Amino acid sequence: VNPTTIASVVDEIDALPRLPESALRIMDALRNPQASMAKIVEAIRFDQSMTTELLRICNSAYYSRSRRIASLQEAIVVLGATNLMRIVLAAHSRTLLAAEQRGYGLPPGALWRHSVAVALAGDKLGEGLPPAQRATLFTAGLLHDVGKILLNERMELNYAAIALRVARERIPFPQAEQEVLGFTHADVGAAIAERWGLPEPIVRCIRYHHQPALARTSDPLLDRVHVADIACLLLGIGGGDDGTHYRADIGALRRVNLPPGGIERLGLETVLALKQVEAAHLATAA
Amino acid sequence: MLLTVDMADLAASADATASLLTFSLGSCIAVSVYDVDARVGGLLHFMLPESSIAPAQARDNPAMFADTGLVALFTSAYALGAEKSRLRVKVAGGSQLLSCDGSFDIGKRNYLALLRILRRNGVKIDAEDVGGGVSRGMRLDIGNGAVTVKTRNGEVSL
Repeated sequence: VNPTTIASVVDEIDALPRLPESALRIMDALRNPQASMAKIVEAIRFDQSMTTELLRICNSAYYSRSRRIASLQEAIVVLGATNLMRIVLAAHSRTLLAAEQRGYGLPPGALWRHSVAVALAGDKLGEGLPPAQRATLFTAGLLHDVGKILLNERMELNYAAIALRVARERIPFPQAEQEVLGFTHADVGAAIAERWGLPEPIVRCIRYHHQPALARTSDPLLDRVHVADIACLLLGIGGGDDGTHYRADIGALRRVNLPPGGIERLGLETVLALKQVEAAHLATAA
Repeated sequence: MLLTVDMADLAASADATASLLTFSLGSCIAVSVYDVDARVGGLLHFMLPESSIAPAQARDNPAMFADTGLVALFTSAYALGAEKSRLRVKVAGGSQLLSCDGSFDIGKRNYLALLRILRRNGVKIDAEDVGGGVSRGMRLDIGNGAVTVKTRNGEVSL
């Protein structure tokens, strides 16, 4: 008998580091297809540490330019608004996601790495979607595993029982989570996103990212988060002890319609993009 | 000294106090080589079977692929004094999803590419722990050539 309910888990959310207000404002600005540069600057400029970090990234060897970048407006020109947003969101999510999650066998930094990789892979798969949808897709990818943070301690206690089921019944990891804990990290993640007031399409991507078939209607964003996540889990990008005990949803794969060799190319481009993001962040950590 | 080898990367060393480690292999494969006489070893964490899908990226990141990665691994070990006839080769990784269509069987294709390249070059694998769905890491101690595979259930020497 497991006395915990999802409500009691979700009540622990308040103890989490919150997504900074500026991150929420940025997501908001990005969802607006007419988001002007002025609006984006407005969303960041009150966040002093973020502004400083962005300017440092722009002036790092990685993005080296002949001229020093001194303002947010210039930074947007140098990096492009979309790239700038990705760096900002990835940086914001680091406070939330970088901690070790022992229950899942995720060393320090691994969950952040995995989350950024899924956001980047989803973004590749989202080429051709309208910019507002791509922004939502990126955020959903970044936050898809946020539920693991709250389930971590319970995982430490229940890992053996879950692993036994995975091995004995050859079921996917989230299904064993469901059977032992009564809910999955995806359920908890969706509840967190709701509590934070994130938009419904993001909540939905988080809730169904392992089982897109359970969503009543097919959703191009959800399909892409699922395929991006499966690809990153398969390749072990920021992977934990759950390993590759997952199932790819054939319907989502078909709808995303990767060409032959598409998964290799996706993996390759994701890892190269991830190395860039990590290099940019390392450059600012000094 | 612990030296972490990132995915799509490799390292070689002749420092007897060094250990080379790599984590979270998934469908990727770790290949360790060790020459007990020269006390030289190397560790590769490659990701994909064939560099032909992206020749330009393979030039900048040879360790990304089985074919270019193995050449780079053996070359790095030779440069430190290892000899081919003495190299012991150990392999871990190549995990699979529970179910998937053929396009996702990268673990299996990585392993087959590895076998093909080693066979063509007359190199045999001394020990391996591949396939399944478990998450693995690999460690090579340069001092004595010990290779261990780490999972949630603990470390096993290979």
